[in-house]
Amino acid sequence: MEFAQIFDCVDSVAIIRRPMDVSGLPGVWINSNPQTNGITRMVMTEVDGGLTVQVYAIGPDGLIDWGVAKVQVYSSTPLSRAGAGFSCRYDFGFAESFLQGMIMKGLLVLAELYTFKDQSNRADYFVREYFALEHQRF
Amino acid sequence: MNILRWSTSGSNPRLQTNVTQNLEFKQIRDLDQALIDSDVPSMGADRLIGRWTNTDARTRGLQEITIKQTGVQFSVSAAGAGTNGPIEWLAQSVRPLANLEEEAGQRGISLAADFDFGFMKAETYLRVNKGVLVIVLFNSFRDQSGRSDYVTREFFYRAE
Repeated sequence: MEFAQIFDCVDSVAIIRRPMDVSGLPGVWINSNPQTNGITRMVMTEVDGGLTVQVYAIGPDGLIDWGVAKVQVYSSTPLSRAGAGFSCRYDFGFAESFLQGMIMKGLLVLAELYTFKDQSNRADYFVREYFALEHQRF
Repeated sequence: MNILRWSTSGSNPRLQTNVTQNLEFKQIRDLDQALIDSDVPSMGADRLIGRWTNTDARTRGLQEITIKQTGVQFSVSAAGAGTNGPIEWLAQSVRPLANLEEEAGQRGISLAADFDFGFMKAETYLRVNKGVLVIVLFNSFRDQSGRSDYVTREFFYRAE
């Protein structure tokens, strides 16, 4: 088994070949910052054992729906089958957005990497925001 | 740049400015003045450049990271913990990104660095927060080993 760090080097006998458990990810994730000028909420949905996300961001006249994107799910170790993070991409034509999220103590930490493809000379940029899962228990 | 008016016609809304630019956007942040005026490679890159050592002396991940800058180009290399000595990591692509985070009151630069080992790829981002280099790795296996794709985060202090 090839590896690039000892993290990757696991006993092949210990590998359990079953689908990733994504049950910790579906739901409505709300930005912890009500003053954000970026992504306000993400709706994650389980579809056929996989996940999709629909992102909403703040615009001058209300929310902008980015549409639905397919999500790649990550665990926290090569042997775990519990979803602990995700990534997805949006291509808007004038720009691309690459989102990388990881769950830490119930909080979704979202890294957002933006690349402009137009001729606006805007700088590609990075921002990190925090999201909480709406649970309506309290 | 002075904002004249918003236009919401077409598939993406646009901001019309007095310098005859029509800027498309998908969130208000896309129009941040800091993006328009930015010279990203010079935005505090010195905070990232150098050799960094993992704060965890027993890490099973990356032991060291070295970040270099030549003009507007950046390179990222690392030493992965191996069973018979370090394993060389060299990023195939490194992109500087203006960091719009206002945490800790600092704006600067972050890097997106991708590593490709054939059997595995690692899509990472690196940033410095209060003097600590943080790397988050999204590792995806392409072989048939059955290992799960996984995400890890590690912390580094400046070695030199």
